[in-house]
Amino acid sequence: MAEPKHGDSVKVVTRDKEYFGILMPRPAMLGSEHAILKLDSGYNIGISNKKIKEIVLIKASEPRVRKKVPLKKYPKLPTVLILSTGGTISSKIDYRSGGVSADYSAEDFVEMLPELKAIANVRASKPLSIMSEDASPSDWSLIAGEIAKEIDTVDGIVVTHGTDTLHYSTAAASFALQNLGKPVIFTASQRSIDRGSSDAFMNLLCAVRAAAVFDFGGVATCLHATSSDDYCLLIRGTKVRKMHTSRRDAFRPINEKALAKVLADGNIEVINPHYHKRHDGAITLKNSFEKKVALVLVHPGMDPGVIDYYLEKGCKGIVLSATGLGHLPVNNRKHSLLPQLKKASKKGIPVIITSQCLYGAVHPFVYTNLRRVSMEGGGIFAEDMLPEVAFVKLAWVLGQATDYETVKRMMLESVAGEINLRHLDDEFLT
Amino acid sequence: MMDYRKLGFRCGLECHQQLEGKKLFAESPTLNSGAEPTLSVQRRLRPVVGETGEIDAAAAAEAVKNRSFTYKGDSADVDLVDLDEQPPRFLNHEALKTALQVAKLLHMEIVDEIQVMRKAVVDGSNVSGFQRTALVAMDGFMETSQGKVAIPTLCLEEEAAQKAESSDSSVTYRLDRLGIPLLEIATAPELVDPEHAKEAAEHIGMVLRSTGRVKRGIGTIRQDVNVSIRGGARTEIKGFQELRSIPKVIAFEIERQLSAIKKGEKIEPSVRKAEPDMTTSFLRPMPGAARLYPETDHPPVAVTWEMLASLGKVELLSEKVLRLESEYGLSPQLAKEVLEIPAFAWYVKRFSRVEPPFIAAVLIEIPKEMKSRLKLDASKLRDEHFEEVLSYLDAGKIQKGAVIELLSDAALGNNMDISRYAAASSEMLEKEIDAAIASQPGLTIGAYMGIIMGKFKGKAEGKVVMEMLRKKV
Repeated sequence: MAEPKHGDSVKVVTRDKEYFGILMPRPAMLGSEHAILKLDSGYNIGISNKKIKEIVLIKASEPRVRKKVPLKKYPKLPTVLILSTGGTISSKIDYRSGGVSADYSAEDFVEMLPELKAIANVRASKPLSIMSEDASPSDWSLIAGEIAKEIDTVDGIVVTHGTDTLHYSTAAASFALQNLGKPVIFTASQRSIDRGSSDAFMNLLCAVRAAAVFDFGGVATCLHATSSDDYCLLIRGTKVRKMHTSRRDAFRPINEKALAKVLADGNIEVINPHYHKRHDGAITLKNSFEKKVALVLVHPGMDPGVIDYYLEKGCKGIVLSATGLGHLPVNNRKHSLLPQLKKASKKGIPVIITSQCLYGAVHPFVYTNLRRVSMEGGGIFAEDMLPEVAFVKLAWVLGQATDYETVKRMMLESVAGEINLRHLDDEFLT
Repeated sequence: MMDYRKLGFRCGLECHQQLEGKKLFAESPTLNSGAEPTLSVQRRLRPVVGETGEIDAAAAAEAVKNRSFTYKGDSADVDLVDLDEQPPRFLNHEALKTALQVAKLLHMEIVDEIQVMRKAVVDGSNVSGFQRTALVAMDGFMETSQGKVAIPTLCLEEEAAQKAESSDSSVTYRLDRLGIPLLEIATAPELVDPEHAKEAAEHIGMVLRSTGRVKRGIGTIRQDVNVSIRGGARTEIKGFQELRSIPKVIAFEIERQLSAIKKGEKIEPSVRKAEPDMTTSFLRPMPGAARLYPETDHPPVAVTWEMLASLGKVELLSEKVLRLESEYGLSPQLAKEVLEIPAFAWYVKRFSRVEPPFIAAVLIEIPKEMKSRLKLDASKLRDEHFEEVLSYLDAGKIQKGAVIELLSDAALGNNMDISRYAAASSEMLEKEIDAAIASQPGLTIGAYMGIIMGKFKGKAEGKVVMEMLRKKV
């Protein structure tokens, strides 16, 4: 008789008992001391393998066939492409087989969210399937390339993505998609879509709505604004950051207001009108990113050898997430980074200064120690750019230019709304 | 008397008991406070495609209502875990220990590795859309007057949120109850008649209380009764206010089904609510098989040998009553009542010169007498009052009769002044007895007893006075 597989109905015979149920998969990480059985009651239990005498196959599982209803196309509705790249919003496990059950076709999305039918003709593709902590600059290039390839055929694009490095990818797309004339809306979820309470549903609905109808040409995120399922915020792709490990409203605008609210009922209310409108101009794709770029957190007692390491490794540029207004150790003999800054300067390696405060801008002159960083060390003070955005931007700039002065000039110019020189009172902690 | 066997009577119980301590998957205390809510969020729930690839009918029906749910709470006992804004913390170890102790008391087989599951809930009573639940033990039994009753399952799960208001478009829940550890114990449908159901419920309650870790008070334990008869349909009855009403509610439900059968009506399986007048009213159709998925945010919990060894031996309250009866010579009733006073054993040890039955009487019967005869508020008495009075007794500073006088003083808010009740000397007693016999000669011993005891009010011991009287009358 065949060896029972996951999903099969089995009888587990132990020294003193027989159990009936479905054999479940067990992640290797959990060790192999127990077999998992789904009882008829629906509960799973772990049975010690030491006790098991045999597992008898009762009935092999049958592959599930799902019928897909082809979608009708409504000529009057806008067309939106959903690009799936992975992440929690795409995490849907088949608890019988342990595999991922959905392939994220347009039909899957519409089945999950029937309301989409009234908003747009949905198309879908899945260029990537990764958790976002695994994303790398080559993935940013790939996503931007897919968007550029498809954008002329649709009214807007939604990119689903993992939350962890979402703000790196939105920054990358913001820089790579020059002269973008349509909405490219990134969305994600903090709860997987196999639970009824998932934030994915409203996030996706609002994102598709914004991609379909919002008069916006650019890259923005669309996720919960509050802990309630009431509305999402559209936040510029270079001014957004994940600020909480688990809350639905983790994505916050930093150093400027969100662009707009997308309400659950479909209305869009503009908050901050400083963005480009839709236009018919041709997109220019600039999706090469220099991979030898580092982002380093400055901290008390840090080993300056960390910077030496990057310089020796042939790093083309470094972003420092400095303290306060852009400080780093300069007077402490053991920990001063000034020698490393000077070394980088001499080599023509740009060192970008940002603040780990996140809120507010850095300043090259306020304190003597800041002047030592900017004037002696040649640090490039990147205004109110978030450290992660500066990191992505530096990789992008170095992908377009290598000359130090050009790189410096480009880093200090706002290319995609990443630098704001005016800051308003009500932008903090919102 | 109805012959339930002939009717094809089938009946099983499901008991839900809240546990003391922290919430099951969060560090929040479990207060059941009912305090004015300070936070509020609104959510929606969607039907999700289940394991079979189809949306559950009940979930779909709920979704059609397109209701929104409002969750209210107070940060004293609600945190981000309750709001489904933070993953669960590790399963509350104390609650698991209590569950394992109960499993042992019910002769159950504890599973080798506990898997936390998500049970899909569509009415909004769980913010996450599911209730976390784990099967801890299987296949136990309990002894009853009608023989063994099988206990197929013991689950440790999260309590649901409590409904506060509801309308067509929205439901409001309070979150203080959400996440309180709950033990669910199910019996097999082997209960032979309504009285047997009550006995089984009482026995399970006693087993649960024996751990000393369960919550007490209204709503902290709930019994659901499943009943059916031949030709009828399975009915789940919820919402019993007290165990006493179980037999009557079941009897009425059987009568309802019998009369429906007689009229040729079809009886649908349903969930019904026990009303105060012992009848039942329709709540909802019987839900389908529970939809359970693994809680992927929590690793499985292997039940180790060390865990089992640390459980210790829990003495059943029923055994403890017997022990108190035989060890201290208490009446069954007194033994049962004194169980509720944890300090009793300690008092017995500390005040070794006072006989244990009298200590029990001081704790139980004297306060009752103060209430009924003296119309005093005995609930004002605190542990320190009992301790003080017992220490005077132990030191021989007062007679037993002075106890009620001193406790009455304490209940009235006065200090205990033992000088007022200092034991009368035998000379004084003898003098008074002589005087009483001289002034009213020819009375019975009982009559003289009454006169003397009235005069010395708590300062004389009845036994001593009686002996003196016997010699003189």
